[in-house]
Amino acid sequence: MKSILVLMITCMLINFQVRAQESYPSVQLKAVSGKNINFKDVVSESNDTILVMSFWATWCVPCISELDNINDVFEEKQAIKPFKYYGVAIDDSRTAQRVKPFVRGKGWKFDVLMDVNSELKRALNITDVPHVIIFKNGKIIYRHTGYIIGEEDNLFDIIKKS
Amino acid sequence: MNTNRLIHFIVSIVSLLLFTNNVTKGQNVSNYLTGHINGSYENYTQYYMKDSKINAETPDNKFASNGFYKLDYNYGDFSAGIQYESYLPSIYGYFPTSTINGSKIVNKYFNYSSSKFSLQIGDCYEQFGSGLIFRAFENRQIGINNAIEGMKLNVMPTDYIKLKVIYGKTRELFDYSKTYTRGADAEIDLIPLFTSSKSTSTVNLTIGGSFVSKYEEYTGPQNDFPNTVNALSGRMNYSSNHFSLSGEYVNKNSDPILLNNYSLKKGKALQFNSAFTKNNFGVSVDCRALSNMIFIADRDNENISIGLLNYLPALTKQHDNLTSNIYVYSAQPKGEIGFQSDCYYTFKKNSSIGGKYGTTISGNYSYYQSLNDSSDLLSFGKKKYYSDANIELRKKWSKKLETTFMVQNIFYNGSLKVASHPNVISNILAAGMIYKFAPKKSVRLKLEHLSAKNDKGNWASAVTEFSFSSPFAFFASDLYNYGTSKIHYYNIGSSITNKSTRFSLAYGRQREGLFCAGGVCRSIPASYGFTATLTTSFSN
Repeated sequence: MKSILVLMITCMLINFQVRAQESYPSVQLKAVSGKNINFKDVVSESNDTILVMSFWATWCVPCISELDNINDVFEEKQAIKPFKYYGVAIDDSRTAQRVKPFVRGKGWKFDVLMDVNSELKRALNITDVPHVIIFKNGKIIYRHTGYIIGEEDNLFDIIKKS
Repeated sequence: MNTNRLIHFIVSIVSLLLFTNNVTKGQNVSNYLTGHINGSYENYTQYYMKDSKINAETPDNKFASNGFYKLDYNYGDFSAGIQYESYLPSIYGYFPTSTINGSKIVNKYFNYSSSKFSLQIGDCYEQFGSGLIFRAFENRQIGINNAIEGMKLNVMPTDYIKLKVIYGKTRELFDYSKTYTRGADAEIDLIPLFTSSKSTSTVNLTIGGSFVSKYEEYTGPQNDFPNTVNALSGRMNYSSNHFSLSGEYVNKNSDPILLNNYSLKKGKALQFNSAFTKNNFGVSVDCRALSNMIFIADRDNENISIGLLNYLPALTKQHDNLTSNIYVYSAQPKGEIGFQSDCYYTFKKNSSIGGKYGTTISGNYSYYQSLNDSSDLLSFGKKKYYSDANIELRKKWSKKLETTFMVQNIFYNGSLKVASHPNVISNILAAGMIYKFAPKKSVRLKLEHLSAKNDKGNWASAVTEFSFSSPFAFFASDLYNYGTSKIHYYNIGSSITNKSTRFSLAYGRQREGLFCAGGVCRSIPASYGFTATLTTSFSN
């Protein structure tokens, strides 16, 4: 195993010299709307538009409070400064089937992505949900774990100022 | 050629090809930027105190600590990472077989991913279909990490074909299984085959299939004992904007293991899911039947949470109430048949029921029972395992006040572990409110009552949480069994959060019980004392 690791590191160093851009891992996600989405493309295509990814699950009560409260003012805040917003459901196959009826039943106005085997959660080193990450120009400019009522005001302040 | 040499060879070839490709493109080195480093750290530390009232013992070490360090580096299409775990020693009851006292780099990987091709060498996570046939995943809460040490390959030759291959040994605590597992999965989206590539249709129709095989040498006297166990699955999925229907069938060859008393019977699983959504309304139905579906790496393994190859979660609602989690169901992979249904509806704002801020109603019903004949997945047995009927109403009265109300009825068959009585019927009422009395200052209160005529009788609980300013929160809870034991399971604590770092400290009693995830349940021993939790995530 040690020899494999040494070889991997060598591999990486070789390519470190010849690869051009920084980027995020390529993770394929299915959206509730039916589209196939690659996380890497979503980040790179957002450019200087703020991109918010909010990790949640149908069994996480604070997550649902947060998304409900964001949904209540979603159009109003979009009118002030447009931003891209995705809810990323980490429900695995125990609860993944209820995500779409749940989201549609709630009438949430933003799209929701499915991360059924926690690939994106693992790649971004998210330990707990709710967890919000804000991207701008391909960089993470803010991340926050947990939710208490009113925390969304802070999120919108950051979006407005960025 | 042994495994290590094979992996070594593959890495060498891939690296050489990529290096050659990049050099010939003549890229300008001055454009190069550094990559991304991101990582996380989680630590759970407990200090145990003796409490004879709840039978809480103090282990030899009064302190126990589980630590998880993870570090990943991404550069262009490449990424690599390690995960280091320390158990100093492991939290009491965290591992089913023994207490671990030690530290180790348990995961390491190197990955190349482009939009059409991905190769990972090292410790890999993957899922085929819904996981009925294969899922390698991690759940730190319950102590599961069944990563495959070896390689995985994902290829998308076209936009509508996905292929996956995995090969290696399964992680078993700090070690790896004796068994080698290999698997392949293919999925084809049929719609692009019949429509133009520019179509923006949201209709998906996919078919897929998986093959998983495990090999473990048998040196005993039985002639018909298999060294290799193969499993095959087929699945389909149709989804449009408002409707979806999916199904999966698994057939597993004769798989004699300790956990099925070395039975030579075949395993089978059948699952259907359907959902319909429209205008703030959503409904779903999940049906599943299982027979002899424990699929585990090493045949002599005596614990289902170590080295599991597939994922068989209980298809029931996960509740957040304290009382709803006293009688929890875990899937019965040896044989079960049942279903669950969910529905959600949000009344429109400014309607008579919706009010100014909206009202949501949700209902869930699940029912599971035994199989009569293990060879027939549709043979309903006579033994009822579990049912749960619940309705929840959530109403936001103003920008400051939100309330919830829930009623629930649970049937639990005591032969499934946590109850002393064969048939426990419990009725639960729960009411909660959140009041925001100033910006970023709120109070939450929840009251619950469980009534049951047998087992431990009635329970009551109260939870309150105060958030005074953004980073601080305080909580207190009590779960009181006034039916038979007259024991208060109280907890108080506080947490502080700064961006992606959170620290919490709690003091109180932990009820003995069952904690379930993915068809695997961990028996949590009763404990009393302090618990400190630290989690942080970082990235450049």
